[in-house]
Amino acid sequence: MRIIDVHTHPILREDQRGPAGAAQLIRRARAHGIGHLVALGDVLAFSRMQTAEQVQVINDETAALMRAHPHFVTGFCYLNPLLGPSAVEAEVARCVARGFRGIKLEIANNARDACMAPVMRAAERHGLVVLQHAWSMTNIHQRRFHTDPEDVATLAQRFPRVPIIMAHLTGCGVRGILAVKDCLNVVVDTSGAAPEAGLVEFAVEQLGARRVLYGSDAPVRDFGVALARITGSRLDARTQRRLLHDNASALLRLP
Amino acid sequence: MNYLDANTWIGSWPFTFCDSHTARSLQTHLKQHGIQRALVSPLGAVLAPAPGPANRELLRTTRGLVGLIPVPVINPALANWREELALVATDARVRAVRILPNYHGYRLRAPGVNELVAELTARGLRLIVQMRLIDHRHEYHAMKIKPVPAADLAALLDRHPRLAVLASGLLQPELRKWLPLYPQLLADLTFAEWYDTLNHLREKVAARQLAFASHTPLLITAAARAKLDPSPRSQVERLAIASGNLDRCLA
Repeated sequence: MRIIDVHTHPILREDQRGPAGAAQLIRRARAHGIGHLVALGDVLAFSRMQTAEQVQVINDETAALMRAHPHFVTGFCYLNPLLGPSAVEAEVARCVARGFRGIKLEIANNARDACMAPVMRAAERHGLVVLQHAWSMTNIHQRRFHTDPEDVATLAQRFPRVPIIMAHLTGCGVRGILAVKDCLNVVVDTSGAAPEAGLVEFAVEQLGARRVLYGSDAPVRDFGVALARITGSRLDARTQRRLLHDNASALLRLP
Repeated sequence: MNYLDANTWIGSWPFTFCDSHTARSLQTHLKQHGIQRALVSPLGAVLAPAPGPANRELLRTTRGLVGLIPVPVINPALANWREELALVATDARVRAVRILPNYHGYRLRAPGVNELVAELTARGLRLIVQMRLIDHRHEYHAMKIKPVPAADLAALLDRHPRLAVLASGLLQPELRKWLPLYPQLLADLTFAEWYDTLNHLREKVAARQLAFASHTPLLITAAARAKLDPSPRSQVERLAIASGNLDRCLA
């Protein structure tokens, strides 16, 4: 099986590794049997609210990874929606021309904010998947710019034709799974925090096996641990295969 | 590989959908995952007003179960902690006790902790400090519990430089920061993670300071082995982390 990891950040300045570190991470992913990575960019580089030039640097790094590993890395275009419609549309067009297949949103703003409209319209126009950072804010209290699962649900209801990956199953938790249950354009990736027992099974039970995807959040998470959330669960082999490959393959049109 | 798990629990945890294990079902579960031995503590002692009943059940239900090493919970904020310690210490299988300062409402800087350390030293028992049980970001919404500050652990080690402590639940950055400063400290891998966890830790940390831990049933057991089994570190090093370091600590 060709495992697809939909949530990675091969370049991370925090780790001071740069492109050499990314190559190391990709070797490690291959050693774990992973056949394809979605690279989301160094989304907290510079700050949580990057300038247009800084956003371009982040996406240029992802594009370089795609060129260096053409059959192994798919890029998602990182955006700061607060930069406004022109900047968003220009950057999306630039990334689509380079073969990016999705949009990545982090913590510049909350997903329920009005500035998301141009992002979602661009996603719909270009047929892109949106991967939205999400985490339960109950104990963090940063919802002004962090996105709660309920905010993902709001976004999904406003733009029902745009497929959305809600990031961080563990960060979203049981409440987050239930929040997006009725939003059929939302799938959830299995990344985030430590591998809490019972949660992947609950997600599959509530959302169905086609709405949960494997994601690691490497490098801040261990590929082996991230895979074991699925392979070490009670899910049957067919369901595990869906999570590890089939769902992402269908969503991103990957082999 | 010979695994000795530094961090497992019996009983129920009401805030997640994890399994509830009896001692026997835990033993079976761990064996299925190739884990031959484990330190086991009672989840019932975490939220109960006093750990005594849960400790008694732990000692009773693990008796005769090969591979399960009972680790009672002691709460030095309670007036009867000396009696509780004396009671659990009569069981020859007990080689360490676990404390949970953040759940039991005291700090590692509290005078009672120094008194507990003196008592443990006199009895030849080891101290396990549960730095975090749950990622505090995911605690049940009615629980406002922060991790034990690593600086408090450092202060404890400064006060007792010859004390052998197992710290359970430190994060990867905490392990890289604090372990090099305190060579006597052993820490488990419960919450340690990076894309290649061991290699990343070993850039800063001596292998002899690390111990395998699954945190069963709160975390996925197979995920713990996934930090060690595929690691490119040497077999000798992985064996030490899998069991040798903790065996040495408990000896």
